[in-house]
Amino acid sequence: MADQVLEGSQPVDLAKHPSGIVPTLQNIVSTVNLDCKLDLKAIALQARNAEYNPKRFAAVIMRIREPKTTALIFASGKMVCTGAKSEQQSKLAARKYARIIQKLGFPAKFKDFKIQNIVGSCDVKFPIRLEGLAYSHGAFSSYEPELFPGLIYRMKNPKIVLLIFVSGKIVLTGAKVRDETYTAFENIYPVLTEFRKTQQW
Amino acid sequence: METSRSCKSCKKKTLIRDELGTLVCESCGIEQQFDNFQSHFSGLDGPQGTFIRIGSSTNQGDFDNKQLKIYHATQKIEEVGTKLGLSSSTIADVKKMMEEITEGELGDGNWFNVFIGACCYVVMRKNRVSFSMAEIAAELGCELHELGRMVIRVINHLNLNNLPDFDIILSFERAIKNCKCFSRNVCKEKLDKMIKEGRLLLNCSVKWFLTTGRQPLPVVVAVLVFVGELNLVKVSIEEVAKELHAGVVTCKKRLVELKETLVKAAQALPWGKNVTVKNIVHNAPLVLRYMEMKSSCKAGEKKKICETGGFDLDEVVNECLKKDDFDIDNYITENYSSQCFEHESGNSASAASANFDNLDTGKISLEHSSNTYRKFSSGNYFVKPVNEGGEDYRNMAKNDVSLWMCNTALTGESDLSKKLFLKEILEKNVGFDNMPPSFVAGEQACKRRREKIIAAKQRIDEIMKPSSSVPSEQSLTLEKGSQDRKKRKRKANVVNVDWEDYIIETLLLHQVKEEEIEQGHYKRMIDLYVFDSEKTCNIFKRKKR
Repeated sequence: MADQVLEGSQPVDLAKHPSGIVPTLQNIVSTVNLDCKLDLKAIALQARNAEYNPKRFAAVIMRIREPKTTALIFASGKMVCTGAKSEQQSKLAARKYARIIQKLGFPAKFKDFKIQNIVGSCDVKFPIRLEGLAYSHGAFSSYEPELFPGLIYRMKNPKIVLLIFVSGKIVLTGAKVRDETYTAFENIYPVLTEFRKTQQW
Repeated sequence: METSRSCKSCKKKTLIRDELGTLVCESCGIEQQFDNFQSHFSGLDGPQGTFIRIGSSTNQGDFDNKQLKIYHATQKIEEVGTKLGLSSSTIADVKKMMEEITEGELGDGNWFNVFIGACCYVVMRKNRVSFSMAEIAAELGCELHELGRMVIRVINHLNLNNLPDFDIILSFERAIKNCKCFSRNVCKEKLDKMIKEGRLLLNCSVKWFLTTGRQPLPVVVAVLVFVGELNLVKVSIEEVAKELHAGVVTCKKRLVELKETLVKAAQALPWGKNVTVKNIVHNAPLVLRYMEMKSSCKAGEKKKICETGGFDLDEVVNECLKKDDFDIDNYITENYSSQCFEHESGNSASAASANFDNLDTGKISLEHSSNTYRKFSSGNYFVKPVNEGGEDYRNMAKNDVSLWMCNTALTGESDLSKKLFLKEILEKNVGFDNMPPSFVAGEQACKRRREKIIAAKQRIDEIMKPSSSVPSEQSLTLEKGSQDRKKRKRKANVVNVDWEDYIIETLLLHQVKEEEIEQGHYKRMIDLYVFDSEKTCNIFKRKKR
């Protein structure tokens, strides 16, 4: 097994990722409709992994350890699942929450499961001259170092927001499917290389 | 039209309105007191009744609610504009922008103050006047990010995509001129010199990524304080930071960064190894001069001016600029050996002859060379080695005339002491190039993780692949005897392994890619690969097979 472990690296599919960099998914937000009215107080009293403070927030906050996620359960029966690291994990977690609600005596279903947002990140391994990028891509970017250290790049197609930092670290958010994240990164990569900082002397 | 009121004369409730709108008693005919009744309000179709209106006592020229709101809003704009020290034309621009955004409605309430501040900021950015958001937020008494959000909304609403960047150099100039710490006891000439030095430092900071992705004000404060130290102006960083509404901790951090980068830049000088963060202020005049010369250096130019009887620093620096591996000892040997020789021979010919190994070849002994260097060092306070620190260089600078004999002062004639565009700054060669601190930190963290991965792999290998030879009974007993010692050894090894090593080991055992581990998102990887019973089961199943 040791050999397997130590040689575990798989090559990147260059056809799909010409840059050779694959953004890693950091957070998946999904929603599902349990299709029944819920008594949040009863849920909070019965479930030990739940917290409910109606003065602060009008939903039960429930957590599970595997997949390590958090769910916001509303009285209308709508549920938001956050913190999963993959789409499958997000769906599995949402199903687990629905099962918990069923076990608490509510006729919960699992309707309209949808991934709402995917957050990914990656590192291009070179510094980026943000001022130059902001200047030449002014229509898409917002760079206000007084407010935020990164450059906010709003890509039109796919509709993804990228946070670009001088260190070469990139955060991509707003995707509904992971391929949008990958496409957005492949689109921005050549632009970033234009503003790449190289050691000159 | 009858009303519920009764006649002041007959007390009957028979009051009616006549054609003119006057209230009269139908039974006795007495005209009642004027009650401000209006039969036609806001045109023929408007409502009838008695209205109370604010702003006037007459029908003509009075304000309705909207006009009053606009009046108050205009007053507020002028008040805020005056507070921020804007000119009347700028205030007019601000008002125009606000009217454009609100379609002439302007506004009222707390949000309106923030809106005025945001418009003031945008107008000033458009006019290339440097005014920081922090300053406006402090004047308005609102939170910086609240103002920032409004600024972004204004920019987006007006599609001001090509708004000029926040001008850090103008901000510095404004700060140094208005800052009480500097205006108190700095003469105009000194102030001009400080501005030139500050501009150069800021241009270099832009080039060296010290400003990219960073709040500009702390950098301005750091440069202000550094320039102050350089010119013997006593300023406290806390005071300057407070005056410019910048975070003190960030300002201190930026100052350290600036000094560290200057130390790196000073390595190009012959005595660069002796320059540290502690003595950079004393060496800074030469470093700045070096950068200035390097930025305006053209190939083939060579000055040969010997101002004093000793070393000409211009020449030394020039030579140093031209050579990658400049050696001060060699340089002195080559260029100043004859002077030294004459000097020495005047005192003692035997001593001079002793200093030279070979008079025919003209080579100087190491001892002589080091003596020369020492003399050179003693004449120039900025060449002092680190271990001789602790002396008050500031006082020495005042007294040491030799400093002024050498041309170390910044001329301020180079482009770097002027306001430059980013492209121009990037094209300049200041003799040193720097990578962004965050990038360097990231690279170092990756390197550290890579080392940890290699170590973890070795540990795993040691456990999974023990030595192939089967131990005999004798060796087993011997082994038992030395068990305690081994345990101690193991314990000693364990001490060096920290939580991060354990996580890396776990991740490696769960077949996580090394490149992924290098990125350091441990929490994510643990959630994804370790606390996933399905994956873990599969790994163990594969292992059993």
